[in-house]
Amino acid sequence: MARFLIKRLLSVSLTLFAVSVVSFLMFFALPKDPVTGMCPKNCNAERLERVRQELGLNDPKVEQYAAYMKGIFVGRDLGSAQGGKCEAPCLGYSYVNSEAVTDTLGRVLPVTLSIVIPAAILWLLLGVGLGMLSALRRGTLVDRLAIGFSLTGASMQLYFVGALLLLIFTYQLKIVPVPHYTSILDNPFDWASGLVLAWIALAFLFSAIYARLARAQMLETLSEDFVRTARAKGLAKRTVYGRHALRAAITPLVTIAGLDVGAALGGTVITETTFGIQGLGRTAVYAVRGGDLPMIMATVLIAAVFVVIANLVVDLLYAAIDPRVRLS
Amino acid sequence: MRMKVAAAAALVLVVSAACSKTTEDGEEVDQTRTATGVIATDPKDSLGPAAEVPGATKGGTFTVIRENKISHLDPQRVYSFAGLMNAPLYARSLTAFKDDGKGKLTLVGDLAETPGTNVNKDCKVWEFKVKDGVKFEDGSPITSKEIAYGIARSFDPDLTGGPTYVQEWLADTADYDTKWNFKANKASLPPGLTTPDAKTIKFEFAKPRCDLPFALSLPSSAPLPPAKDTGVNLDNQPFSSGPYKITKHTPGVELVMERNEHWDAKTDPVRHQYPDKFVWSFGPDPDAGANRVIADTGGDAAALAFNGVPSALVSKVEGDAALKGRTITSPTPSAWRLTINTQRVTDLSIRQALNYAIDRQGLITVYGGTTVASPLTTLMPPATIGYKEYDAYPAGATGNPEKAKEVLAGKAPELVLGIGDDSTELGTQLKTNLEKAGFKITVRTIPADAKLDETKKKDNPWDIWLDQWAADWPSGAAILPVLFDGRSIKAEGNSNTSYFNNDAINTEFDRVLAMDPSAQASEWSKIDEKIMKEQAPAVPLFVEVAYYVHGSKAGGVFISSVFGYPAFVNAYVKQ
Amino acid sequence: MSLSPEVLEPVPVADAAPVEKGVVGRSPGQLAWTRLRRDRTAMISGCTLLLLMLVALAAPLIEVLYGVGPHDEFKELLTRRGAIPLGYAGGVSADHWFGIEPGTGRDIFIRMVYGLRTSIFIALASALVTAGIGVTAGILAGYLGGWVDTVISWITDFALALPFLIFALAIMRPVEMRFYGPRDEVPVWFRVTVLIAIFAAFGWTSTARLVRGQVISLREREFIEAARASGAGLGHILFRQLLPNLWAPILVSFSLAVPAYVTGEAALSFLGIGIVDPTPDFGAMIFRSIAYLQTDPAYVFFPGITIFALVLAFNLFGDALRDALDPKSSR
Repeated sequence: MARFLIKRLLSVSLTLFAVSVVSFLMFFALPKDPVTGMCPKNCNAERLERVRQELGLNDPKVEQYAAYMKGIFVGRDLGSAQGGKCEAPCLGYSYVNSEAVTDTLGRVLPVTLSIVIPAAILWLLLGVGLGMLSALRRGTLVDRLAIGFSLTGASMQLYFVGALLLLIFTYQLKIVPVPHYTSILDNPFDWASGLVLAWIALAFLFSAIYARLARAQMLETLSEDFVRTARAKGLAKRTVYGRHALRAAITPLVTIAGLDVGAALGGTVITETTFGIQGLGRTAVYAVRGGDLPMIMATVLIAAVFVVIANLVVDLLYAAIDPRVRLS
Repeated sequence: MRMKVAAAAALVLVVSAACSKTTEDGEEVDQTRTATGVIATDPKDSLGPAAEVPGATKGGTFTVIRENKISHLDPQRVYSFAGLMNAPLYARSLTAFKDDGKGKLTLVGDLAETPGTNVNKDCKVWEFKVKDGVKFEDGSPITSKEIAYGIARSFDPDLTGGPTYVQEWLADTADYDTKWNFKANKASLPPGLTTPDAKTIKFEFAKPRCDLPFALSLPSSAPLPPAKDTGVNLDNQPFSSGPYKITKHTPGVELVMERNEHWDAKTDPVRHQYPDKFVWSFGPDPDAGANRVIADTGGDAAALAFNGVPSALVSKVEGDAALKGRTITSPTPSAWRLTINTQRVTDLSIRQALNYAIDRQGLITVYGGTTVASPLTTLMPPATIGYKEYDAYPAGATGNPEKAKEVLAGKAPELVLGIGDDSTELGTQLKTNLEKAGFKITVRTIPADAKLDETKKKDNPWDIWLDQWAADWPSGAAILPVLFDGRSIKAEGNSNTSYFNNDAINTEFDRVLAMDPSAQASEWSKIDEKIMKEQAPAVPLFVEVAYYVHGSKAGGVFISSVFGYPAFVNAYVKQ
Repeated sequence: MSLSPEVLEPVPVADAAPVEKGVVGRSPGQLAWTRLRRDRTAMISGCTLLLLMLVALAAPLIEVLYGVGPHDEFKELLTRRGAIPLGYAGGVSADHWFGIEPGTGRDIFIRMVYGLRTSIFIALASALVTAGIGVTAGILAGYLGGWVDTVISWITDFALALPFLIFALAIMRPVEMRFYGPRDEVPVWFRVTVLIAIFAAFGWTSTARLVRGQVISLREREFIEAARASGAGLGHILFRQLLPNLWAPILVSFSLAVPAYVTGEAALSFLGIGIVDPTPDFGAMIFRSIAYLQTDPAYVFFPGITIFALVLAFNLFGDALRDALDPKSSR
């Protein structure tokens, strides 16, 4: 177990390192020169050059990268135009927003977490529940309804469902407030009511995928020998389905769920745009479009960290759920 | 049950919209309105308090909904329209426009007792006297010293954004920040700027600068005590001299401003202090913003959607009887043109042919219809003081491809059109339109956020693209020399995006700029026509029409005659 | 097959009889085909798919018969003030079956026909490439284990960790500049290829992870061990023993991938990458129409219902195919 963890942690660090290098390189290929946007008021070539110099954009790329990494671990001095001394973990100072990147992240991260985590719980419960129900009641009306619901969801698009939900519940019936973000610590009710439409929309779409997968897996597992054996041994249906079958069926779902949650945390661009909420996803898009290198780096790295952690958790859960898998 | 109600609501919505016949109706906005502007000669005009707004009541929270954050709040860096409309709430400048929202403008003293004294009548020496009783948010008095410090810090190259007129005029060079280094001379003042006493501030220029009173109406002449200067961080928490102070600011999410108790209405000729609070709420896209305000629930009843009514929602807002009295429509000074890169398109006949070929009506339709835009054949918009209408290349509302072909005389010019990736339909429209007149158009998309910066580079690769300009004050001086004086062309950050340089025209600019502002107006119209007739460095397209919707409790908002965006100095919440 | 009675489908006896007869000498493929033909949902969704693909293929022919092209403009049918279609239901008429687009005044029906073409091609091509890469990588990693697994899994993790939208957003323009410079016309096929490449580069990971997970739990199973013990070659084990047992998850994920790419491409158009106007494209069309939900619902309705039908048909057909291919879940 310890060896497995060490190995995984090494591989994780390597992944994050590679991600940071690739995003650093990607930035240099961006169409927009970041300096143009932050040129002093009256721009000329000489002034631009001075800004480039101050930002260190003329240094060799390796040095720039090293300076950035140094900032994360020990902090660095960014100069007067960049908010001065920047304590570790320093992710730099936004080229566009007149704000330290860590401040921005501290603000948008809770937003994205508040959207994704409750939505994920909702879609997992709904999806697995529907999938199991339709597998066990295979061929009945319940099966058809559950599958119909999940297929409808899987065939919809988020911006479409979102726009419709908003139009009906917020603008026409006026029973749900306009989507907004309030910290759960300030006002839990306001927090929930401001995000509930986003949760519903996400859950409707994602649960569909889980319901389909859960059903397929469950059916597959039900016809397996060990289930049949268990039934033949005279074990109660409850025990067989609840313990053995569900456990086997859920394994691939865990993979998908982990990846989905990880990816969603990295940015729910479309959700945030549809509901007009400012989270990590939109921040990242603005950063790329504005050529805001420190912000691009930070959002890409954060997204990568989420995905990588989700992967790790999935692997551990895998072992916990399915005894046939050995951690090696 | 809920689902049923929802489904029924959706059904009713779809059916009602699908089964009602769409027809042409409604009235057109009066586009012929021209701004009249004067500089107040009577010092009484500059006295406060501003006349009460009929029906206005005190109290409440006024909300402004906008998709993106305001790019800068630091008065010395403010230059975006949202920023310019918001700044008067917390920043006072030396002069200000009294605006009736219908095109009548009077430039008055704001912090200054008058809109300036032209000491020797040659526009080279200007003097301003600071009013008594003007205070910062901490109650300390505003003197000429803090105003001069505010102007001095606008020389700091770290503080990106913001206009550069005053700095360039004082330093008499575009390289103002090398001529006078702010960071090394914080205790002194830039060349030509002096404060003989606590109540007097004096500008001395090498050349006549007759537009100074106008330029000082921008928030970059706002005061700041040196002790309160937090450098780049002032952008998130400016120090107030106006009727409101910033009490909470979450960049990109929310900006809350509350009453500044130390602001005295008696000193202020243009502002009010009706609502208890102003709140900017950032995030919702234009559709969501308009929908929220239309829904009129809770705090949104006292809100304004700053992004306006998106073209997709125009017919809904127009057709809804409940929204009568909750919309504002007004012509704006924001003029669109098809910029021609004269470095690449050197053949005058091609530029003239483009002017004959253009289908303004088709373009406006794709842009969203006549509710949001109206055609323009001049470089200056009708809202300019002294505007005169003309059409140098008469070709009707939809253009005249035959005439264009005739001017081209058998040539089939190949042009590259650069278009923002958020408005590709406009690109398609231009391509189809111009190819009918014998042009060969290649459309290349540019990321929308980069387009402005990219086209402002002198060596950009495109031949034609869409540009938009709204002047900093409604005078030809803030339009024509800015857009077409070839001596100001630099490597990047050009406003003269046609890269047009003509000695005769440049001389004309100098001649008119040295005239008294009141005599300039009609001269600018003549130069406008001369440029178009003789040089055609652009194709004038249309002016935007402002179309806004607000909640049932929002009052006092009008469209600024200067910038064409909603102004908040009269705003109040109906009780 | 199953012991629990409620899982048994109420299969009519008359239908069951031919299967009994057919047991003799039929390949699994033929069996699957028979099963598929008997599944009503599969037939309906399959026919819908065929019809839509036929429409997409025959677009130029339809244009000739219909008499309107995808780039023809009818601005005279729009209101001057708001630029929305005159008349009823978004300008539906005998000449314009599904009405016309607000703003541009183009015919919705013929643009949908051409749009289907672009969208189906991009989605199918991306899904095929994705599945190919994903399945190969997943099987190799899962079965071989050891350093092969380590390397492949690491690459998978790495690709997964890169946020798709941010990279897609950053890549398109530099690629365009690299191949066409700033002034040359960028052909439509080039953008399509880049899109497929972007989808493939980021899309294969989930299939690979899924397949790998399946293979890991399968490789310990008795039948694989039996094959190994009897000296079967690697190729045999991978593709004859393992792959047939993976059809269900692969098909489910493939059937989800195609529609996901249709909508994914729409999301990219929204961010300003992908297919640009005037090329007719479903994703771009849907995205543009959403804003008109309140003012021109017909514009949202026709493309919306068609894309829903397309995606639903893929989903249903994928399900049915899974049932048909997987003997264990035969109905």
